[in-house]
Amino acid sequence: MSHHYIQFNDVHYRYPGGVEALCGVTFRITHGEKVALLGQNGAGKSTLLLHTDGLLLPASGEVNVGDVPVRKSTLKLIRRTVGLVFQNPDDQLFMPTVADDVAFGPLNMGLPPDEVKRRVDASLAAVGATELAGRPSFELSGGQKRAVAIATVIAMEPDILVMDEPSANLDTGARRRLLDILHGFGHTMLVATHDLDLALELCPRAIVLDRGRVVADGPTATLLANRQLMQSTGMDIPVSLSAYLDSLLQGIGGGEVGVEVGARILK
Amino acid sequence: MSIQRALITLNSLENGDRGLAVDSRFQVIVTVMYLVAVLSVPLADPGMLVWMFVYPIVMAEASGTGYGRVLVKSLWVLPLATVIGIFNPILDHTPAWHIWSVTVSAGWVTFISICLRGVLAVQAVLVLVYSTGFYTICTAMQRMGLPAVLTTQLLMVYRYISVLLQESLSMSRARAARGFGCSSYPLRLWGMMVGQLLLRSVERARRVHNAMLARGFDGALPAPEPKGLRAADWIYLAGWIAAFALLRFIDISGIFGNIIDPAS
Amino acid sequence: MHMADALVSPPVAAVAGVAAASLLVVATRKVAKSQRTDIIPLMGVMGAFVFAAQMINFSIPGTGSSGHIIGGILLAAFLGPWAAYLTLCSVLIIQCLVFADGGLMALGCNMINMAAVSTLIGYPLLYKPLVKYPISTARIMAASVLACVLSLEGGALLVSAETVASGITALPLGKFLMFMLPIHLAIGICEGVATGLVIAFVQRYNASLLSGAVDAGTHKTSPRRKQVLWGFGIAALVLAVAFTWIASANPDGLEWSIEKVAGVAELAPAQAPATAFMPDYESHFAGIVGGVLVMITLWAVTMLMFRRRRQASAQRIK
Repeated sequence: MSHHYIQFNDVHYRYPGGVEALCGVTFRITHGEKVALLGQNGAGKSTLLLHTDGLLLPASGEVNVGDVPVRKSTLKLIRRTVGLVFQNPDDQLFMPTVADDVAFGPLNMGLPPDEVKRRVDASLAAVGATELAGRPSFELSGGQKRAVAIATVIAMEPDILVMDEPSANLDTGARRRLLDILHGFGHTMLVATHDLDLALELCPRAIVLDRGRVVADGPTATLLANRQLMQSTGMDIPVSLSAYLDSLLQGIGGGEVGVEVGARILK
Repeated sequence: MSIQRALITLNSLENGDRGLAVDSRFQVIVTVMYLVAVLSVPLADPGMLVWMFVYPIVMAEASGTGYGRVLVKSLWVLPLATVIGIFNPILDHTPAWHIWSVTVSAGWVTFISICLRGVLAVQAVLVLVYSTGFYTICTAMQRMGLPAVLTTQLLMVYRYISVLLQESLSMSRARAARGFGCSSYPLRLWGMMVGQLLLRSVERARRVHNAMLARGFDGALPAPEPKGLRAADWIYLAGWIAAFALLRFIDISGIFGNIIDPAS
Repeated sequence: MHMADALVSPPVAAVAGVAAASLLVVATRKVAKSQRTDIIPLMGVMGAFVFAAQMINFSIPGTGSSGHIIGGILLAAFLGPWAAYLTLCSVLIIQCLVFADGGLMALGCNMINMAAVSTLIGYPLLYKPLVKYPISTARIMAASVLACVLSLEGGALLVSAETVASGITALPLGKFLMFMLPIHLAIGICEGVATGLVIAFVQRYNASLLSGAVDAGTHKTSPRRKQVLWGFGIAALVLAVAFTWIASANPDGLEWSIEKVAGVAELAPAQAPATAFMPDYESHFAGIVGGVLVMITLWAVTMLMFRRRRQASAQRIK
């Protein structure tokens, strides 16, 4: 299991009685890559993420994680390899206290108590939430909930981290702290997000999904600077980048901060 | 109780003051023993109930909760006790007490007893919850052998009450913004609102289930670690049970009265 | 409808507690055995849902007052009877421990009166057989009104019996019922209409949620049996109304009829609860006054004794 890659091969999925959510998705994420998954609401991002963890199984096509195909029989192994962080932390934090919640995954893996404890401490420390251990989840702030939700997944020591809208509903401070935490991780990462600035900063590569199809796959900055692509998929060019592009077009200094950030990223 | 009040109660509870280092299993047992002692006092003997206040007063103060808070909160039970108890003074005029020149009927004596029982019982429960917290009580009950399905159920309901209360609060605020100062809903509208809340709840349950599966859940629930009992726990248990026996079987009010007023 | 600790004696609490607990054990076994892993989060969230739904009041038509549901039939329609019983019990336990609503000793009584009667009797006996394909709104409404009326009247009957058997009230059972049954007939109709509206709403938007509980373990009901059930349901409603009317017109007659039917005269033992034994008066009264003073002193002393601990914990909260 040294190769932590995810491979989608012509994956189709249709919700019962509903529309086709994925129509022939193919891509490969290799070991150590950080990839952003972009697209409008209803483009099929969440459906795709559920496939990485075997919570949904493809109607046709195949998903491979490492060398293991995602099937009913391999679910246990897959779920140890892939850590899925859901969009709403309230759905993810279902146990009474933060420590109980982080221990839930390791306990289900059948680890001995001292190892469980070690993992709880380590993963809470990794997201800077050590002092929250004994607190009940419902009284945490939005940013704290998000950090703990990530810790619950890290505690299972997955090789691949898959996240759905990690920066949704966070204020700027909490969003900054989240980005710092994510920068510190060495996992292979797939992040579905509407936050294009986050995608730009965190993920060198992006996949754009539109109505269940991959319409673009390449360096994040290049994709985001493509006005035609952005318009056809209903997204806006991020503020930082558009200021830079405008300044290039007009030959004058646009927003200084934007220019700086944009220049650094396009490099 | 308004939705907001419920939310505040939930928050204050787990923020609470954990002054007591006694095993929570024994706290549960002592509470039950206390309730048995209080509720088995004959209605004709409110004097005995007065002495039963020893337990909530001492425990509320010792755990750092403060008895004042417990006392105020326990008075909420009085309306219910009154609704049922008020029939006694109306129906039962048998003279019971002659206090100097006033005659008190047995109905009033039993009515006082009902009110005292109500207040004491609520105080015992409040003292238990304030000094331990709901989560701790649940794990204690699981260690005492309650099935994991039940304790997990309790913890999950407790976990999601605040989430769903928030949801229904924002729904009713949206309605209040367009309503006409009416706090309750016409039935048809109520049905639609609660129906929506239900659909959202089921959807949430599906997402929670996904999150559980993603972390290796296969239907079996993790058991709590076993925990040893210390000498202090046993002393706490034995001490209170002895005290309850004393309060229940010895007529302290009578003895006390004779000391104060030996003439009668 | 919550019973408080003040209204039960330890023997009654124990009997009801044992009954409720054994049903709870059966329910946990049934749930643990079920193959659905999603029943655990579903019961958890639905419990919280019922709790939230109980806090949203509806106005009762024509009265100006408002009410809320208990939710037994509603839960059972989505979860099936045993999971619904377990869920409703968990709500009652939390209401008791967290919100001091209904007492710890009265918990068994409350579980029986409010949860068991509706989920384990009202639902399987009336609601489930009556709501059959093709499901229509009218059918849902009628079935839920009948089931809720039966559940609430049954619950009210038990509340009265438990209170009287505890020797708390000087009111004889007949008079108590005369006071409880009419109120709960009205409450039952409201709960039934409210429950029916919610189920009909869900039926319109996501019928698959209901089929889970309705389909599970359903065996074909023959048309004849269905007629019998409708007949039974309507008869129950008519009886409840008639019962209530007779009770208010002739309470003594009712008491007599209950003794006849139940065959137990002990149901109404509480003419005047234990008036016979009254300790002696003036000195005893002095003792009570002394007791109150001692308690106030005790409070003051303990407050001083533990003041430091209290300040520490207050600081922790900040």
